[in-house]
Amino acid sequence: MSVAVRRRSLAPAEMGLRYGPVVLAAAVFALPIFWLLVTSLKRQSEYASSLLPSALEWANYALAVELANFVHFATNSLILSTTYAVLAVFVSALVGYGFARHRAPGHSKLFVLVIATWMVPNLVLFVPQFVLFARLGLTDTYWPWILWGLSGSPFAIFLFRQFFATFPRELDDAAEVDGAGPLRIFLQIYLPNAGPAIAASAIFMFLWVWGDWLYPALLLRQDNATLAVRMANAYVDPHGNPLQTVTMAGVVLYVLPLIVFFAFAQRYIVRGIVTTGIKG
Amino acid sequence: MAGATHVLPRAWPRTTAWRRRGFRRAVTFYLLISPWLLGFVLLGAVPLAGAFVMSFTNYDGLNLDYVRFVGTDNYARAFGDSDAQYALGRTLLLMAVVVPVGLALQLALALMVNQPIRFSNVFRTIFYLPYVIPVVAAVWIWKIFVDPTGGLVNAAAGAVFPEANWRLLVEYPTAVLAVLTIWGAAGGGMVVFLAGLQGIPAEYREAAMIDGASRAQVTRYITLPLLTPVIFFNLVTGIIVALQILVQPMLLSPGILGLNPGTVPPRDNYLYAVHAYIEIFTKQLFGYGSALLWLLFAVVLGLTLLLFKTSRRWVFYGVEP
Repeated sequence: MSVAVRRRSLAPAEMGLRYGPVVLAAAVFALPIFWLLVTSLKRQSEYASSLLPSALEWANYALAVELANFVHFATNSLILSTTYAVLAVFVSALVGYGFARHRAPGHSKLFVLVIATWMVPNLVLFVPQFVLFARLGLTDTYWPWILWGLSGSPFAIFLFRQFFATFPRELDDAAEVDGAGPLRIFLQIYLPNAGPAIAASAIFMFLWVWGDWLYPALLLRQDNATLAVRMANAYVDPHGNPLQTVTMAGVVLYVLPLIVFFAFAQRYIVRGIVTTGIKG
Repeated sequence: MAGATHVLPRAWPRTTAWRRRGFRRAVTFYLLISPWLLGFVLLGAVPLAGAFVMSFTNYDGLNLDYVRFVGTDNYARAFGDSDAQYALGRTLLLMAVVVPVGLALQLALALMVNQPIRFSNVFRTIFYLPYVIPVVAAVWIWKIFVDPTGGLVNAAAGAVFPEANWRLLVEYPTAVLAVLTIWGAAGGGMVVFLAGLQGIPAEYREAAMIDGASRAQVTRYITLPLLTPVIFFNLVTGIIVALQILVQPMLLSPGILGLNPGTVPPRDNYLYAVHAYIEIFTKQLFGYGSALLWLLFAVVLGLTLLLFKTSRRWVFYGVEP
């Protein structure tokens, strides 16, 4: 029974069965996002009265940028997310390489510890960290993210360990014969060949900071906080009335970089998850 | 100590060389992982130990002069705290809805996009998209979607029932929260299921098909059993995440003016993590709040261990392809 025969004989009923549910689910999933776009393009006066915009009100986007000091907060977000992502990815790759290729007493217990830190509720860890940062005078600064980045991320360490474990050991042996130390082997052999793992973890690290609201809301001031903190407040007109349409335009602009970023890197994310071998 | 140096001479050259090599290896390993280890100690172990000590004090987050040990008072108080009990109940209720429904949806989506269909990449992207959308944006999207004046839900309802004026965020805040959570998490779980599905060798399914099994039978008797480790993984992570939900209910206040840290969500969405957050950051009860959080950790840990215990009965680790 060949595939070609099956495909040709796909009856309309079977077509419906195969495409019906998936199309329906996609419509339901996309509808709220579609509504976000629609609302962002309405005139504020039409917000409550008409279902669809009479004309596309692109001025909302200009207003969203102008009224919220958008560029300033977007720059803060970009700096903070990039700094954290670069540090965390590099450090996690190094640590993952250590776990994948080097042995010492305590090796496996420490690796269990890496995974165990995943299970501790975020807030349990964050509250004492918050007290610590406050005591050290590091609140209102970006230092907490730098320190988090410098200690790597358990998720990314795990990902890199799994990824590097698939590399042939002969590479190390050859390099060692040539007199290369572990750091040089990491920098010249492992890191340059870790493209998919770097991409997948960098995206997640960047996304985490760009999307996080809680930590910047608690650790930073109103003016050096990230875009997420700013976007939690609605846009208002001079009388204090909410401008839903402009707010939605701001939300679109806030999300857009992630979607563009993600569209380019989608296959790396799937591959990154496959390499971690979560399957058990 | 002295004994060791006396034993050494016998196998002197080999042992020292070997030991030196082993020692150097160990140093290399510890140097490589030192950034994480240092971070783990300074930003993990030490603060956690501090938080544990803190949970036995009356610390207010500001002044160390007035700190004193209160023994197990905070824990005793937590057990008598009717707000904490209420919040825990709401959290468990939300979990009991969001985890099973979410899991079934994730699996269904993965099975659907794993079929040989056209545009399967487009479908995957649509399902994954909400997972990438930051929490602040996701909350706005749903606030506007269910808004009584400008939302699509009410517009659609109005077409059917002309009198409809559903104030969903006021009347059914937990339902909105549950839908938002399921919608946002679906893509992440789906991708993990997809990875699991692609790890099942096609021969298994083909062999069953040749033996005359229908597609539904193949899914039920071949795919699902082989997928149980992934189901288990998504179940455990789903529960851990669900018990800690904090930001969504705080941001999902019925007003349209956004929020400030310290906003109290509607009573229905007063979840356990929200209660702990308010005790700590709004009321400045760091000691008491820490005790609440350790109790949450105990619940998370207990449920996880329970799941691992039951996993022996239904998780299938049999075939290693």
